[in-house]
Amino acid sequence: MAFVFSFPDVGEGIHEGRVVEWLVGEGDTVAEDQALIKIETDKAVVELPSPHAGTVLRLHVAADATIFVGDALVTIGSPGDDLPEYKATPARSPAVSSTAPKAVDVGSPPAPAVASRRPLATPRTRALARKLGVDLLQIVGSGSGGRITDKDVQGAADGGGVASTAPVGPAGVVAATADGEVERVPITHLRKMIANAMRASKHNAAHVTHVDEADVTDLVDHYRRAKPVIEERSGVRFTLLPFFIKALVATLQKYPIFNASVDEDKQEILFKKYYNIGVAVDTPEGLIVPVIRDADRKDMVELAAEVADKAERARSRQLTLDEIRGGSCTITNIGPLGGVFATPIINQPELAIVGLHAIKERVEVVDGEIAIRKMMYLSISFDHRYIDGAEAARFMSDMVRLVSQPMVLMARM
Amino acid sequence: MVVGSVSRGCQVVVIGAGPGGYVAAIRLAQLGKDVILVEKNPTLGGVCLNVGCIPSKALIHASELAHEAQHAENMGISVKDVTVDLPKMVAWKDGIVERLTSGVAYLCKQAGVEVVHGAAEFVSDRKIVVASDDDRVEIEFEQAVIATGSRPMALDGFPHDGEQIIGSSEALSLQSIPDRLVIIGAGYIGLELGTVYAKLGSEVSIVEFLPKVVPDLDPEVGKALMRQLKKLKVTLHLSHRAESFEPGKPSIVITRGPNDEELRLEADVVMMSVGRVPNVEGLGLEAAGVTTDEKGFITVNEKMQTRAPRIYAIGDVVGGALLAHKAFQEAKVAADVITGEPAAFDNVVPAVIYTDPEVAWVGMGEVEAKAVGHNVVTGTFPFKASGRAMSLDSTDGFVKAIADADTKQLLGIIAVGRGVSEFIGEATLALEMGAFLEDVALTIHPHPTMSEALQEAIEGALGQAVHMVNK
Repeated sequence: MAFVFSFPDVGEGIHEGRVVEWLVGEGDTVAEDQALIKIETDKAVVELPSPHAGTVLRLHVAADATIFVGDALVTIGSPGDDLPEYKATPARSPAVSSTAPKAVDVGSPPAPAVASRRPLATPRTRALARKLGVDLLQIVGSGSGGRITDKDVQGAADGGGVASTAPVGPAGVVAATADGEVERVPITHLRKMIANAMRASKHNAAHVTHVDEADVTDLVDHYRRAKPVIEERSGVRFTLLPFFIKALVATLQKYPIFNASVDEDKQEILFKKYYNIGVAVDTPEGLIVPVIRDADRKDMVELAAEVADKAERARSRQLTLDEIRGGSCTITNIGPLGGVFATPIINQPELAIVGLHAIKERVEVVDGEIAIRKMMYLSISFDHRYIDGAEAARFMSDMVRLVSQPMVLMARM
Repeated sequence: MVVGSVSRGCQVVVIGAGPGGYVAAIRLAQLGKDVILVEKNPTLGGVCLNVGCIPSKALIHASELAHEAQHAENMGISVKDVTVDLPKMVAWKDGIVERLTSGVAYLCKQAGVEVVHGAAEFVSDRKIVVASDDDRVEIEFEQAVIATGSRPMALDGFPHDGEQIIGSSEALSLQSIPDRLVIIGAGYIGLELGTVYAKLGSEVSIVEFLPKVVPDLDPEVGKALMRQLKKLKVTLHLSHRAESFEPGKPSIVITRGPNDEELRLEADVVMMSVGRVPNVEGLGLEAAGVTTDEKGFITVNEKMQTRAPRIYAIGDVVGGALLAHKAFQEAKVAADVITGEPAAFDNVVPAVIYTDPEVAWVGMGEVEAKAVGHNVVTGTFPFKASGRAMSLDSTDGFVKAIADADTKQLLGIIAVGRGVSEFIGEATLALEMGAFLEDVALTIHPHPTMSEALQEAIEGALGQAVHMVNK
């Protein structure tokens, strides 16, 4: 018995995605858990596995189509099922086949016409497909519910069918306006997702940013001494980021509200008993936040390795959905890009985001003496609806102490 | 007598001026082709206009009026002494036929289509000969369209004499209402004309070989039709084989029932409606290289091309649904293909039976949808719950929507009820446009109309009907 596999509700507020590519074709046999399709959702490209073994009877959506949770993606039949044969027209064979005494039987009025599945396209689109020599059964539509649009047909004719993926990079159209030349570039799916998330966060949360400064001279000294040793022994490129992740986790453990989210419907606060730290990654296509799960239970070398791996895969869009969801608090490292400090936007449904800013040598007074110290600003942007400013000040003050005094931090690990 | 032989040439010759042929000819002329339309009969329009769709609908309407006039007491209307002047009714019908056939002739003329009367025969794949009583014309063509249609099938033992044993054509031109009319074949023609004569006062018996009427449709359709036939006192003999005929006054139709029992039916007139066969004899198809299937229907592809490269065929002669509107569409496809357009027949074909109540459907039925692999959901709205149906005093029937339960795509509509023929076109549009249930459910249907039932049935399939209890 054939079943239709629809875009599942994967949670995390994801309700929209874009089909990157089909990994199977109509007529293919698939095993249970075999990847069927690559879908770009909120910040990740996800491969959806087949829930059952069977034969792919029909792809319902085309590459590059925008899909919503619940949309039919693919019909899969029992193993060995044949592809349903497409009949373009009502039976061309005789009207009726009742045996004697009637050869052609007006006695049974013509059976309901059109026996089989038809491509989901309007007559006009079907005519266009004929004109351009496009086989509609080889296309899956990008329109509502998988309708094949004129554009899909044109695209298939231009680009040679379903397999064609969206061109990489801006495919803009340059046009002259009264003010000068303007290039119109379509907004990418990822950009739309980021835009929606940012607007929603700014709209819903009461953003406040608290900034503190840390003297990280000792931390940097320790780091510089340890780095070659650690790298030689582990083979992992070691950075400062794991220290800050550890400091953040330690501080979150003390101030659980910063590791929480809110169920607005039930008016309840959800304190997370896990420490899944999102790490914002700048990619050419936009911001992606892979999540380091259970950061409290990983050592700094493991954290370094995981951050490097996930950042790399974020840039190549190979993260799985699981790797970008389920965060409890986020860290964003703006430092390498310069600036004094920024006010990041909370990665909802989380309640806070910590910003790491550039480490700079500054003249400081230490124990009544002028000294040159390695200084950095640390910021926390928090949702003032559920977290008060004093709480944030205390949070930041504690975190600053941990990164300023690495031995205290070590003691907590 | 053949008085001469003339040789002609044209770009396209169309053989047969029924709904397929005249539409193909006009469209081809519109597209700039030099067209000759060949018709065997003196008038254009084929079976549909002359002895089919149109005249039968005229008589159906007239008989309905007579019937309703006598059955309106519940609305406070009593009409005494309703008399039916059948010759006058037939003359009125003939007037309509005349208007329409001459209308087609006018359209052909205006489009620049030349009409040649006579019987066509291929002598090669480039040439036909058209023979009439006093002429013989050879026409060389670049392309030909065969649209010769179909005719009623004969049944052994029932020799057609046009008086005691008639076909549907004669049934549309009877000069008196037969007291006892026996109809062989409960197809749509038998059911439609049986209803006409029952309403005009005949005692009608219908003999059907199969165990039910409209066997391919939803069982509910057959039930609704049977109910109404019973009200009209039409006797149905299902699973009965018509075996032989004894002429006389009255004549006797001898049938054999399911248990081999013999049944003798007295008849003043016997109407045969056991099926239709394609008109291919004498066409010289072999000379043209055109092939037919085992039933004699010409084999074509979706571009209406026969096996002979220059020759196309459309309408009843290619089989499928023997319906004028299918022929219209095929005609346009053939004309487009001939002029180099990439056309193809890829349409859903709606169908209507003008019984009382009317039956109309398009797309897939429930059984068929399941057979194709759909997880099916249906919604049925009965006209009993329709205000418009009540105000028409016609609450028999229903609209049933068939859809894919997973994708919610509409797959088919079956409607039984008064005037449902008028909105099956909407359902057809919905299918052609690839509508989902929501598309129709979110479309306003005017109130009060019978078409609201379509929306309600579809809302029912969504579990959202308002004017009936959702299942």
